[in-house]
This record gives sequence, C-alpha cells and structure tokens, in this order.
Amino acid sequence: MKKTMCVVLALLLVVSSLAFAGGKAETAAAAADPNAPVTLTVWCWDPTFNIFAMNEAAKIYAVDHPNVKINVVETPWNDLQQKLITSLSANAASNLPDIILMQDNAIQKNVMTYPEAYVALNGKIDLTQFAQFKVDVGTIEGKHYGVPFDNGATGTFLRRDIVEKAGLKVSDFNDITWERFIELGKIVKQKTGIAMISTVANEPDFPMLMLQSAGTWMFDEAGKAYIKDNTVLKEALRITKEMVQSGVCILVPDWNAYIATLNNGTVASTINGCWISGSIQAEKSQSGKWAVVNTPRFANIAGSVNYSSQGGSGWMVMANSKHPDVAIDFLAKTFGGSVALYETILPASGAIATWLPAAKSPVYSTPIEFFGGQKIYEDLVNYAGKVPNVKYGVFNYEARDAIARALSEVMQGGSIDAALATAQKNVEFLMSE
Amino acid sequence: MAKTTLTKKINLYGWLFVIPAALFIFILNFYPMVSAFLLSLQTGRGNNLKFAGLKNYARLFQDEMFLTSVGNVITYLVIQVPVMLLLALVLASILNNPKLKGRGIFRTLIFLPCATSLVSSAMIFKSFFSIDGIVNTTLMGLGVLQSPMSWLTHPIWAKFVIILTITWRWTGYNTVFYLAGLQNIDRSVYEAARIDGASASRQFFSITIPLLKPVILLTTIMSTNGTLQLFDEVRNITNGGPGIATLSISQYIYNLSFMYNPQFGYAAAVSYAILVMVAVLSFIQIKVGDKR
Repeated sequence: MKKTMCVVLALLLVVSSLAFAGGKAETAAAAADPNAPVTLTVWCWDPTFNIFAMNEAAKIYAVDHPNVKINVVETPWNDLQQKLITSLSANAASNLPDIILMQDNAIQKNVMTYPEAYVALNGKIDLTQFAQFKVDVGTIEGKHYGVPFDNGATGTFLRRDIVEKAGLKVSDFNDITWERFIELGKIVKQKTGIAMISTVANEPDFPMLMLQSAGTWMFDEAGKAYIKDNTVLKEALRITKEMVQSGVCILVPDWNAYIATLNNGTVASTINGCWISGSIQAEKSQSGKWAVVNTPRFANIAGSVNYSSQGGSGWMVMANSKHPDVAIDFLAKTFGGSVALYETILPASGAIATWLPAAKSPVYSTPIEFFGGQKIYEDLVNYAGKVPNVKYGVFNYEARDAIARALSEVMQGGSIDAALATAQKNVEFLMSE
Repeated sequence: MAKTTLTKKINLYGWLFVIPAALFIFILNFYPMVSAFLLSLQTGRGNNLKFAGLKNYARLFQDEMFLTSVGNVITYLVIQVPVMLLLALVLASILNNPKLKGRGIFRTLIFLPCATSLVSSAMIFKSFFSIDGIVNTTLMGLGVLQSPMSWLTHPIWAKFVIILTITWRWTGYNTVFYLAGLQNIDRSVYEAARIDGASASRQFFSITIPLLKPVILLTTIMSTNGTLQLFDEVRNITNGGPGIATLSISQYIYNLSFMYNPQFGYAAAVSYAILVMVAVLSFIQIKVGDKR
C-alpha cells in the first residue's frame, strides 16, 4: 500500500513538472458584439500624472461606452521597457497590454526593433491637431505610431523670492543666453549663498536640452553618429562644465536628491521639461514663490532658440491587443478629442497638452497662485509651439549614455575633444553588428 | 531472486524521485545555458538574428566598454575578496573562542547582513554616502571635511563605496563557513601548540590557516564567482557611473539587452566571457590552493 502511494506521488511530481514546463493554453474569445464588455489594459508610470490622466480619460470614455473598462497598471518606464523587450523577443506578446505609454526618446528604437508589435495609426486618429514636433517624434517611415501626450517643452522654473533677494527681477532671466545665465547665477550665489541650479551628476540632461534648442541631435540626417565634430555638443559640454565649476550648478547623486533641492530651497531654479511643475508644486509651503521663464540659448551658435524639450511621452496601441479598434477609438475620443479631459487633468496634475484645441480652453489662461499668479500654462504652451524639431534616432540611449560618460570625463578635467572622440567611437561600436 | 526484484524496485523509486528535480534542472538550467551559447553565435537586433559564428567573441576584444567593465570588476575582485576573506577569518577565529561571552549574539549580528536584500543594503549605503548623508555629516562634524564630499560621483570613491557595500553584505556569510571549518579542527592541536609556546598569531598562521585551506579555497572561488557577476549593488548605488567608472560586466549585459537596442547575441557572448573567466580563475585557485 505504502509503495503504491510512493509511486503515485512520484508520478504526480513528474506529471506536474511536465505540466509546468508545457505552459498554459491560451484562452481567447473574440468579441463580435459591439456592446460586449471590453477591458483595455494600459501600462504607464507616475500616479500623479500619467496614471491620473489615463483614469480620467477612462471616466470620460465610459459615458458613451459603458462596456469599455480601462485597467491601468502602474509600470515604471525602466520596467516597461524591459518587459516590452523580453516579451517581444520571446514571441510572447500576449503578456503585453493593449496600450502603453512610450518615452519620446525611445519610440524610434522600439518601433525599429519590433515594427510588427505596434499599430500604425495613420488615418485612424487626426494627428494634425497635435503639436507638429510631437507627431514627428512618433512617426517612423511615414507611419504614425504615437498619440502625443505629455509635453516636454522646457522652461526655467525660478524662485521669485530668491532672485529678488539678490536684487534681480524674474524678467532678467527671460530670453537670455547661457553665459548670461551663469553671470546671473553668480550674482544670486554671491548675494544669497544659494546655488542657482542643480542637476543629476550622471545624467546629461543639460547637454541634451541644449542640443535640441539648437535643432541639433547626436545623429546626422543619414542616422550616423554625429558626436566628435558636433560643435553644438562641444559648446554644451563646455557650458555645463562651467556651470558646475563656477558653483552656479550643484551636482546631486540621483533624481530624488534633485527633487529635494527644489523642494527644500537648496537652489534658486531648475531648467527642465514642463512636467517638472508637478513636483515643484508638491511643496505647498513654497506657494507664490515660483515663476517660469523660457530656456537660455547659445550665444554663439546660429539657429539656437530659447525653447527646447525634455522627456515627453506618448500613447501607443499594441498589435497584440484583442481590441485594437476599441483602443484606437478610446485614444481618439479622449487624448485626441476631448477638451474636457485636458481641462480636468491640467489643474490637478499640470499635464500640459500637445493637443492644440485644448490650449484654447480657458483653463490654460487661469493665473496660477503657486507661481505668483503667472499664467504659466499659457506660457508653456506658447513655448511648446517654438521647440525645434529633432529626430532622436534609433540609437538615442546609446548616444545619451556615451555623452553622460563624456560629461563625467570632462568634469574630471579631461579634454572635451578627447571625450567626444571616445563617445563617437563607443556609439559607433554599439551601432555596428 | 527476490532480492534482485527488490533492488530493482528500489532503483525504480529512486529514479522516479530524481526525475522531477533532474527535469527542472535540465529545463531551467542546462537548456538555457545551451541556448544562450547558440544565441551568442548570432548577431542582429531584437529578433532579427542571423548566425555569425564567433564574430561576437571577436567583437569583445574591440569593445572598450566591455574591457572597462572587466577592469572595474577585476579591481573590485583584487581589493575586495582578500580584504573580506581576511576579515571573515579574523572574525571567525574570535567567535570560535570558547571563552567569549555572548557568542550567539555576535554570530547572529555578523550573519545578519546576509539576511538583508541586496537592493535594500545598496540603497542604505547609497543614502549613507549621499551629499547630506550620515558619512558627510559625521566627517564634517569631526572636522575631517570642510564641505560635503560627493562620494558617488567621484570615479575612485564610488568604487570604494561599492567595495564597502559588498564587504559589509558578504563578510558574515564567509565567516559562517570559517566557523564551521574551525569547529572541525581538534582543540588538542591548539593545546599542543600552546604547550610548545606558540603565540596566538603563530597559532593562527601555522594551524588555523593551513587546516582551513579547503574552506578558504571554497570561499575564494565563491567570492570570485559572485564578484564577477556583480549587479545589484552597482545598479542601485551608482548605476555604473560616473561615466562607466563603476560599470560591472553584468550591468553591461543588462544595458545591451534592455537599455540599448537589444543585441541579445552579443549580450550572450559577454555572459559567456564571464563564464570563461570564472572557470579560468577557479582552475588557477584550485591548482594553487589544493596541493594534495
């Protein structure tokens, strides 16, 4: 009896291990009925911003389409990217959601590597209503993949009270060059003892936004790495180094420390994508003390303007979705067709639209108390319209990493030319096969 | 006759019990190893892979970032492993002293870091060494530093912090191995040595170390292996920076697969490079350490 039990148990183990190895069978039911319940899964990050906006969009869509349920799963960008690559490379796209949020600077890479994984939206959503530079970001070989969402237009977010204490005016910082910014930063530092600005030490955020402000990127028209002889890039590294060496800019080890410098008054300003206003406004005690002006430009580079972009994102529909048409219709009627949506999410989260009709809404011209009554959303939308268009390219992350390294070498006293030559070599190596 | 059937039956049960585990090991361990090797012979991005022979392996030698990451890991290895093992050995000898009071508590305390997650210990060390962290505050309070030091953005100090974190996390683990080894050394050997007038340090170098040799060898190989595959600490403390001054090989593999345009073939080749390095170093250590 005992022996039989033993055999049975052992067999059970074998069978169960085989069953595990075999994997689960797919259960898919096609919905023919237009009113059948549909659940769309969405992956995106940031509960106060993207997730909030998505949930609001779901509410708006549910009014006319009560059968459609939106299930938002919080997925930080790094995890999202990793899950995308793992699932797509394992041909297991069924693990993926219906809609994802994609960083603007990663969309080219992802679409070029797995073109079959995403639905082209040509003719299905009216993209002419979006800011052109955002549409171009998500357009690959004539196909539009992204529904532009958050705006990455940059601005200089200033502590009104600190610059005034240094005997300066907020308007002194508008329409200026980086050289002037450093001069003013020195004055602020000298008069108040407060550093002008902070940045994350291992990230090339400043050089990146400087590049775009001059309409240049790290790749040329043909997609080749354009780093070694890129005069804009050289100038960008030189200015970044000067900002740090002169004490105008302090380096912090990570993102949390960076946000802390803004919230605890360690610095008098920050220059970043307008989405940073959410984090700034999180510190309620500083209400009324902030202001926004445009981004500094290069003094000696032709075509450089006071506008740039940093870190925007857009929605994409995945080809594995069981209801791609519902997903597209959902995006078209909310993020690409609902002024009401943008009117809800703007005051609550500072999510600035790239859908132009929304910018005409009166909500955008409301004075914001936190920024001393400045109509910052009107100003930022205005900046967004003037951002030079660049192609981030397929190898953007490789290049960005190489520049981060070059910047760190320059900071340690290395020559800019040598650091950029190494960066060029590294990027070319990663681009080759 | 009856006995043979019984033996046969026992054998059958034996196989039945071994098969599930063997199957799991095969599917989850050997199969991926073989398929990673096949992958390392292919080039391309994403799923557009084509067979390219040993090209990826030839590429390794031209890859400055890979070579830098190997250099970084060897730096960690050469500094961290001997320091950690010596420390573990000293701690184990102290804890092995039967006259020591509260041995149980000390043993628990020394082993405790091993029970913490790699990520949380890395995050805690990162906060210790941040600009406004406890290390800067203390050093400034003592007057050693005039202004806060940016440890993690300095290429050498960042390495130091990573080495410190690994040492903190793994010293206790190795101490336990040495303690187990020490308990197998007969007390009478030490007694005899004492009667002959050998000092404590003499006993340590002439009895403890030679008799612990097999355990020391084991811990050296394990630590070498672990350090070559270092990932969590570097990823969480510095993310490879400043520049790539602290980048480990495993993190480079991660970058190649998930940060950059996925080059799985090349990433697999890099992981096989780690395997070869572990194999070579272990072989040398066995040859040097095991003179039986």
